[in-house]
Amino acid sequence: MLAVENTLFTIVMVLYFAAMALYFVFIAIKKDPVAKIAVALQVIGLVLHTAALICRGIGAGRLPLTNQYEFATSFAWGLCLVSLIFVWKFRFPVLGAFAAPVIFLVIGYAAMQSKEVRELMPALRSNWLGFHVSTAILAYGAFGVSFVLSIIFLLRDRMKTQGFLDQHIPQKEKLDVISYRSVALGLLFLTFTIVTGAIWAERAWGSYWSWDPKETWSLVTWIVYAAYLHLRIRRGWQGKTAAIFAVIGFVCVIFTYIGVNTFLPGIHSYA
Amino acid sequence: MARQNRLTLSAALFSERMETLKKIWKYLSSMQFAILLLLVLALACALGSFITQGQTFDWYAARYNERIAALILAVQLDDAFHSWWFIAITAFLCLNLLLCNVIRLPQLIRRTKAEGDPHAIIGAACDVSQSGIADPKAVFSALRMQPKAVFVDGKEALVASQNRIGLWGAWVCHLGILLLILGFGLGQMTKTEYVVYGVPGQTRMIGDTGWFLTIDDFRIGLREDDTVEQYTADITVFRAPQGSTTMPDARRASISVNHPAKLFGMTFYQNSTGWAARMNVAKAGEPLQSEVVCAGEYLTVKDLPELAIYLAAFYPDYALVPGSGPMTLSGQLNNPAYLYSVYYRDELLGMNVLMPDEELTIDDYTVTFCEPQSYTLISIKRDAFAWLAFVGGVVTTIGLFLALYLLPKKVWAIRDEDGTWTVRGASRKGGAIFRDRFLTATGGTERNES
Repeated sequence: MLAVENTLFTIVMVLYFAAMALYFVFIAIKKDPVAKIAVALQVIGLVLHTAALICRGIGAGRLPLTNQYEFATSFAWGLCLVSLIFVWKFRFPVLGAFAAPVIFLVIGYAAMQSKEVRELMPALRSNWLGFHVSTAILAYGAFGVSFVLSIIFLLRDRMKTQGFLDQHIPQKEKLDVISYRSVALGLLFLTFTIVTGAIWAERAWGSYWSWDPKETWSLVTWIVYAAYLHLRIRRGWQGKTAAIFAVIGFVCVIFTYIGVNTFLPGIHSYA
Repeated sequence: MARQNRLTLSAALFSERMETLKKIWKYLSSMQFAILLLLVLALACALGSFITQGQTFDWYAARYNERIAALILAVQLDDAFHSWWFIAITAFLCLNLLLCNVIRLPQLIRRTKAEGDPHAIIGAACDVSQSGIADPKAVFSALRMQPKAVFVDGKEALVASQNRIGLWGAWVCHLGILLLILGFGLGQMTKTEYVVYGVPGQTRMIGDTGWFLTIDDFRIGLREDDTVEQYTADITVFRAPQGSTTMPDARRASISVNHPAKLFGMTFYQNSTGWAARMNVAKAGEPLQSEVVCAGEYLTVKDLPELAIYLAAFYPDYALVPGSGPMTLSGQLNNPAYLYSVYYRDELLGMNVLMPDEELTIDDYTVTFCEPQSYTLISIKRDAFAWLAFVGGVVTTIGLFLALYLLPKKVWAIRDEDGTWTVRGASRKGGAIFRDRFLTATGGTERNES
């Protein structure tokens, strides 16, 4: 099963790369059918990615959500899933073009990690693992999409009016609302992540909150996005300021995921 | 006349002070202050995570330098999350949330009523509007809304409002955060924590509670590849009444990682494990003392209390690697060795590694180690307010769901004199997406009309 997962993972990487390349071609030659092929490739990639994760789960005999490789590949999966949902819901293929490099970067990071299957330490042998980590994946995926949308928002002014991109990218007001929807999805799932993590920590370590660096940075991320939501309500602070906050929020997400493990080890050091 | 002047001045002063107080009150409950507090709190948390907590001046001086070490201790950055300034930020955040909720409550009740009142809806400002609609029910149907027929000023009208409960989202979320902080804060102030460790058969008192814990059994479940699957301890907790000859009220439980047990209002957690061994002391060849000690524990010699033998570490599969010192190659008892140090009147006499067949001789005394075994470390906690923090977490989540997913919207249609309908809609949080959906439903193209 793990050999199958390995093969599927390679195919998925190729498909995501091809989709990214096609998105670039779509922007370069300005032909809508190319974007449709890119989306189709991403959908096929997502299906195979799901199959790869299932194979990994069967091969390892547990949920594939416990080490850097497994979380990174699941993060890329979540990012791809949420971006495709937003592309489909808001008929917005250019979002796919901006999201594809981020997805490729995350899956590329996964490819650099050790794929070795290790048995779970006793603290990780809990039903809460599935709830806690899967909600984190969806939260990170949604925040990734809001990051991409905010970048598009910030670049929107530099695009030629009446140009190809101008016609294919919603107006800034709508971009802001789509980004808000994405942050809303992410924040709700991040709250689930923190709450389920606290319940699990109470059972495993006897303390639902220990100011462990991972916990602390999840809280920092939560606070930054909470500030984003409040900023959007205040007149004059919507749009650009909110978009900058969404970008800062995603920087916090990445730091929580990679930075904390690298620079601030704690009781989450296996994650 | 002079008295009159003084009275006027004090009234003016009072009014000025009231104005200042009103301004402070307004600022304390403002969103601007909330955003500032959130950002300061995020910064404080980040700072606390970057500086290793709970260390000494020497540790910080070695890590940074003496000046920074002194600064860290002076501003309590060594215990950032319990420092006065962190508590102050949190207290201001609580005050802001509380004031915000108190001030908004009557407004929210009024708004919720208004959103359900057809007359109030029709009189409200709209975000988007479309005239000349022949079949307004189709518009409501496309927007998945169920309209109610009413007459306003003799005109036929259809009114629908959805997700009114969403108006309460932020309020519920704030309430949840307040409960969470309250539960956490009270827990921090009142919770008690104890640690008990030992090997099967040992009974220890739980701190100064008067309760006792006996470790009946301790098992380490290993997989085929020798990795640990689970640590399980069977325990008995009891309280021995002083001078009583009757059997104490005892309760038994089996605890393992992720499976704590609640006994007598305390929660028992299988926390960690380590190595212990039996230390035998003989004097002039006669057995004097034999006790099980855990790695990191001292044994004081019975007839010479100034002499203490410290079991610094135990290596189940001992190897001496040049350059890295003593170490263990595996967790298996292939080549056990004991690292000891001997203290006399708190002065170190010496330290070395002792193998099972070796003896340590200190004048008339001989020390040997045997029966290496795993000990279990059990932590015992009592937090009477944990439930409040969890309720806060759940309420926060519900509030967020209401605020972010149940976006209130209202749509109303009024029959015009020519028989067609003018349909209007409003959704503050729905924004451009709501307007697009509205225009799609009405077949309109205009972006906005208020």
